[in-house]
Amino acid sequence: MSKETKRTFTFYSAWDYEREEKDLDRASEQGWQLLKAGLFSSKFVKNPDLRYRYQLDYREIEDKARYLETFREQGWEYVDSTFNGWHYFRKVYDPDLPEEAYRIFTDEESLREMNGRWIRLALGMGAVIGAFLLAYLVWMILRPKLPTLFFLLSFLLLSVMLVRGALVMKRSETRRARSHEGAIFLTFIAAILLCLITGTVLAALRPSMNSDMQAGSVDRPIVDERWNEFSAPYTDFYYLDLEFEAPVPMTFRVLDKQGGVVYSASGVSFCEKGIRLRLPRGTYEFSMDVSSGYRLDLKIR
Amino acid sequence: MKRREPLSESYFYILLCLARGDNHGYGIMQMTEKLSGGEVTIGSGTMYGATDNMMKKGWIREILSGGPGQDRRRLYHLTDEGCEALQAEIARLRRMLNNAEEE
Repeated sequence: MSKETKRTFTFYSAWDYEREEKDLDRASEQGWQLLKAGLFSSKFVKNPDLRYRYQLDYREIEDKARYLETFREQGWEYVDSTFNGWHYFRKVYDPDLPEEAYRIFTDEESLREMNGRWIRLALGMGAVIGAFLLAYLVWMILRPKLPTLFFLLSFLLLSVMLVRGALVMKRSETRRARSHEGAIFLTFIAAILLCLITGTVLAALRPSMNSDMQAGSVDRPIVDERWNEFSAPYTDFYYLDLEFEAPVPMTFRVLDKQGGVVYSASGVSFCEKGIRLRLPRGTYEFSMDVSSGYRLDLKIR
Repeated sequence: MKRREPLSESYFYILLCLARGDNHGYGIMQMTEKLSGGEVTIGSGTMYGATDNMMKKGWIREILSGGPGQDRRRLYHLTDEGCEALQAEIARLRRMLNNAEEE
């Protein structure tokens, strides 16, 4: 006889484990008994004749036999564990038994120890994410560009979440825990992904720097040996496609405002595509040391 | 001798029960309830955590009773260190009680 089963897709953060226990109790009352517990989905089997009370424990088990025996001898049936260390136990509900018979943690110390374990993990995770975001922020400051505002907003959002997570965990450390490590974790991942996707899209949508210059085929006089100007709207990498030909060896230079040489190329003929230059925001000038008889083709991306 | 941290109620009763002889988790739980007149209960999560910690401290030790074919049970045994920890706690409690009763 095949039994009726169902799968639910719910996600509880670590600090919501008590809510999860209550939800499992309620499901059991309605005849759905937990079969397999997972981080994102759980499997239930229909059995209206039973009613259980559930408890969750979080720990790394060193001696599983001893662990299960300690629970079994007090009437707890081991149901399942999630891969990340949450263990599910249940006991047949007997209305005559006092409420504390359905608690696996009977003193503050052990409950705090249990909460401390996942709180440490969650904080560690938060710290890694925080460090990542900080590095990202520094990088954005060093290379300001259009998406900065959006990254900054995402960054702020993440920071707010981190702080909220930390506060919730702080609270659950002092009072009885009522909270989830997963939601923080999942929201972080979602936020980071969103951040990266937004950044990529915006970087792609950024006004493209495409100047196309062609200069001096025959006898074009150049005043002061300077020919053209280019302004970099933001600090970034720019790509030059440069091609020139001249009757005598010539030198092409990119100069910054102070007259410093940012790039130079010389020869009778020259052709190179995709020359990468990191240019801080500002105005740049191009110069050639011959005044006529050359052909120059320059594209900036 | 360095000052010992006060024991939690659960730790105290576990050690106290084992001072009366080797016992398994369930036995300790029942004896604790009886001794404390139902005031102190030790749930499975608390029991596992406490015995785990005390084994790491060397206060108690695990022994498997019964030979092959017999009902094998996991018993906990109080070590000398555990006995010392219990005595120190009793002395601390007695001192506090004496202080409270003085005058």
